Amino acid sequence: MLEIKNLHASVEGKEILKGVNLSIKPGELHVIMGPNGAGKSTLANVLAGREKFEVIEGELKFNEISLIDMLPEHRAGEGMFLSFQYPIAIPGVNNMYFLKAAVNSVRKYRGKDELDAVTFLKMIREKLKVVELDDSFIHRPVNEGFSGGEKKRNEILQMISLEPTLSILDETDSGLDIDALRIVAEGINNYRNDDRAFILITHYQRMLNHMEPDFIHVLMDGKIVKSGSKELAHKLEEKGYSWI
Amino acid sequence: MSLLSYQNEFKKLLDRKYFSSKIHPLRKDAFSKLEATGFPTKKWENWRFTNLSRLTEQNFSISEINDGPQSRIDISEYEIEDLLTIVIYNGHFQQNISSFPNGVKVLTALEYLDYKAGKISHSEASPFDLLNTAFMDSGVCLMVDKNVHIETPIRVLFISNGGRSIMVNPRLYVDIGMGSSLTFMEEHVGNAKSLFQNEAIYIALEEESKLEHIRVQCNSNHTHNMANLHVKQMGTSQYDFYQYSDGGIFSRSNIHVDLDGENSECNLNCLSLSRDSQHIDNSIIVSHNSPYTQSSQIAKSVLFDESTGVFNGRTIVQKDAQKIVAHQSNKNLLLSKSAKMNSNPQLEIYADDVKCSHGSTTGQIDEDALFYFQSRGISKNEAFILLVSGFVAEVMEKIKFTPIKNYINQKTNLWITSQ
Repeated sequence: MLEIKNLHASVEGKEILKGVNLSIKPGELHVIMGPNGAGKSTLANVLAGREKFEVIEGELKFNEISLIDMLPEHRAGEGMFLSFQYPIAIPGVNNMYFLKAAVNSVRKYRGKDELDAVTFLKMIREKLKVVELDDSFIHRPVNEGFSGGEKKRNEILQMISLEPTLSILDETDSGLDIDALRIVAEGINNYRNDDRAFILITHYQRMLNHMEPDFIHVLMDGKIVKSGSKELAHKLEEKGYSWI
Repeated sequence: MSLLSYQNEFKKLLDRKYFSSKIHPLRKDAFSKLEATGFPTKKWENWRFTNLSRLTEQNFSISEINDGPQSRIDISEYEIEDLLTIVIYNGHFQQNISSFPNGVKVLTALEYLDYKAGKISHSEASPFDLLNTAFMDSGVCLMVDKNVHIETPIRVLFISNGGRSIMVNPRLYVDIGMGSSLTFMEEHVGNAKSLFQNEAIYIALEEESKLEHIRVQCNSNHTHNMANLHVKQMGTSQYDFYQYSDGGIFSRSNIHVDLDGENSECNLNCLSLSRDSQHIDNSIIVSHNSPYTQSSQIAKSVLFDESTGVFNGRTIVQKDAQKIVAHQSNKNLLLSKSAKMNSNPQLEIYADDVKCSHGSTTGQIDEDALFYFQSRGISKNEAFILLVSGFVAEVMEKIKFTPIKNYINQKTNLWITSQ
């Protein structure tokens, strides 16, 4: 599904990723851990196609198609989703309007009919239940005045509404209380199936108490330096990164 | 236009048979005061960022009968449901296509001045107020008696058309009696090739009255618009003002509100959209002259190309005006490198027990927000439109009469999407 080969990427002329290799198959959940500044968020942004992150070397393929020159909105249409570490607040833009524009944009890209207001509302009400938010939530401006937990739940709501096949969750667990963490984790678990893959970027092992990852990778200084099973995460939690 | 050419036009105007000669003394007095002060220059504090040269270099003549409509005017493109319209075309009142409301006394501005017989004072008049008084040629006076709630909004539609460089000086009076309410709209449209409109509006709100005033300025990009708005509010009155501007090569609104009575409240909302070399300028003074008064100013501008804008907002709290609440906010979105905005929010407080805030921000479109939208599948272009729409949304949000609000929202969307 996703093939990353010898990926080098820079931000404002500074090389951050220095040869990342990663292969992800449908249904897998990969966790990327690593110290601050290792390049975790850079990797997420490069995958989602943010302009200021420049690929300088290597290959990046999603379902056999190169992502390198693909616009972010087309990547979303192809089935990629990035849950932001810091979701952006957009005053004046209603959450429902935003979600509807997003859902219909990706549907259009995928050759499906756009949803009318009634069908959309029905669909979104179902999804709201999954993230345990009430209806009033979608009438507020996007992320404006949302608590940390609400913002992350809104990201999960967007994910399950846009139906991506590859979801990249950038520190979706940070800043969450125990209940919000459970809701977010359940949202992800319920969405998991054999066709959908996930990349979970995190600092903490606690999110992993709620889910079953297939692989743990350690990213340090722009490279994946170690990969292993769930046990690796426990070891990192205990010992930190210095032993690697 | 030099004062000398105004003198010639002024003589022409005084010779007009169809203007009452009763107000000649008022006109002459105003004109001589104007001759004494002259037009503002950049040295005048409130005109520092306003380049009047485009206006002063051009000559304008007074509007003649021939400048009136040559055939029947079609106003269907300006239709708004459930609203009455009075039409003024190049300074000429169009009775045959105007409708008049029940419960409102309607006079022409000139009749009103006859009626008030010299009671109008112009102690604080600016040069453009004086110019209007000297040259006033059209306008309407709406008077609502005590305790009357007028449900149907009234619109005065100003159409400016034609290729001759004319000057029109409309004058509007709106007097709302004690305990009464009205929604009043003025709309400025047309395709004039060259025009100078110098409008003066006088609004008086008696105790416990309410006025919703909507000003839509969408005339041609060759029009010079000067609007001089004066509002006086008695106790517990409420004035809500909404101004939408996307027309004119040069537009300036001088807005002055006096909160004279206790518990009176005004909310001023201005949305300015400019492109090419348009200039939109709002100069606002709100004076809290009594205790327990409240005011808010929200001004937002979106600027493309080489367009320029000015926000001069001044809130004055007089010495004995304790326990007042005043908020002032100016936010601007610059969408090109050569667009320019001058923002100057000011508070002048002489009382000591007040609640005041003011703020101003000028910025570009948020790249992070654009990427956020794109990552959700929304194209950059659509994301841009959504972000600009989101930025302006709050300004017109509180308009109570929905058909007018929808009408303005449509104009806004059209403007944003046509970029």
